[in-house]
Amino acid sequence: MNGIHDLGGMHGLGPIIREENEPVFHAPWEGRAFGLFAATFVFAGYTVDEFRHEIEKMGHAEYLEHSYYEHWLVAFEQVLEKRGFVTAEERAKRMAELEKGVH
Amino acid sequence: MPTHAKEADPALRVKVLESILTEKGLIDPKALDALVDTFEHKIGPRNGARVVAKAWVDPAYRQRLLTDGTAAIKELGYSGLQGEDMVVLENTDEVHNMVVCTLCSCYPWPTLGLPPVWYKSAPYRARVVADPRGVLAEFGVTIPETTEVRVWDTTAELRYLVLPKRPEGTDGLSEEQLAALVTRDSMIGVGVLAAAA
Amino acid sequence: MLLTPEIVPGLVAAGASARVAASVAPRFRVGDRVIVRNLNPTTHTRLPRYVRGRFGVIEKDYGVFAFPDTHAHGLGEKPQHCYSVRFTARELWGPAAPERDTLLADLFDDYMDPA
Repeated sequence: MNGIHDLGGMHGLGPIIREENEPVFHAPWEGRAFGLFAATFVFAGYTVDEFRHEIEKMGHAEYLEHSYYEHWLVAFEQVLEKRGFVTAEERAKRMAELEKGVH
Repeated sequence: MPTHAKEADPALRVKVLESILTEKGLIDPKALDALVDTFEHKIGPRNGARVVAKAWVDPAYRQRLLTDGTAAIKELGYSGLQGEDMVVLENTDEVHNMVVCTLCSCYPWPTLGLPPVWYKSAPYRARVVADPRGVLAEFGVTIPETTEVRVWDTTAELRYLVLPKRPEGTDGLSEEQLAALVTRDSMIGVGVLAAAA
Repeated sequence: MLLTPEIVPGLVAAGASARVAASVAPRFRVGDRVIVRNLNPTTHTRLPRYVRGRFGVIEKDYGVFAFPDTHAHGLGEKPQHCYSVRFTARELWGPAAPERDTLLADLFDDYMDPA
């Protein structure tokens, strides 16, 4: 698809920002998100191609404004929901519980 | 997807998934710990640096590396996830290779670890294919007009590692000392190695 | 399968290659001149817009891989050859690009026609 992910040759995206002594993960949640890839891949039966396509389908502004591991989160939520492992309702319920301090 | 999930703190969204999957017995959080530990402490650009240093001191290894990158890299114990099919590109006076993934952020994990944020960022992915010399200038690198700049866009499942030029004045150094000179950026092709003092 | 900490090192070291052990004839040989198809699928593809409709040369045949365009959608592996294809910077970006510079992209049989 001709999505925002297909960036080659585009102008106006700003400077390349580098970070000295960059950590592998910038926050603990990035490490958990990274680990979820292999952990879900082995049971959920999706392909890397499908995973990438879920990211490509993100809204253009949303794609540019969110980080790499946030893109992964979108893909996890979609592939796990499609296969019935974790529904949107389950996520919403758990989110509300976590926000209230349960769990 | 409920709107609030998208707007929620990513740390909470990860916790939502991790806690539900753990309750269902589909994941073991200790496996996530092990993966984080592996990529924080065991796999990173020092692996690639050892490959490069060996290629500099061992002409037969260099040849094997350029002929079958996957097998030669595995000789040093590096293999697997996102390095299943490796290609090594040798920088010379004639050709300067550099690597990007314009469509996502493909990167050779076994030799370089996980990619830095700039490599995954929209500005790098957008610009390096059309203006590699401009990007190199931002990294402080100037390649002579007489050298071909060759950009490799990782669009399929091959993964690329650049074999940088050995810096001048390093004849007496051991393989280990040489490995210490090799930077991550030189193995992506956005850096060159300065001559030893 | 449940991923346990004991399995992690083996999984990381083995990975999961997208190579397919199928005997499929290549449509192109090294040195062949090709034109990239002007495809605009609304589905997944690994064909970047900036090479569509451009002329290139087959640099290397990497062998047979699963085809992402079908594999992403549960439509099978459709195994086919994947090649390193060389383009001049001028072919892609016009006459202002440096004369010597080149770009290589990894492209599948289904993305190209002989030129």
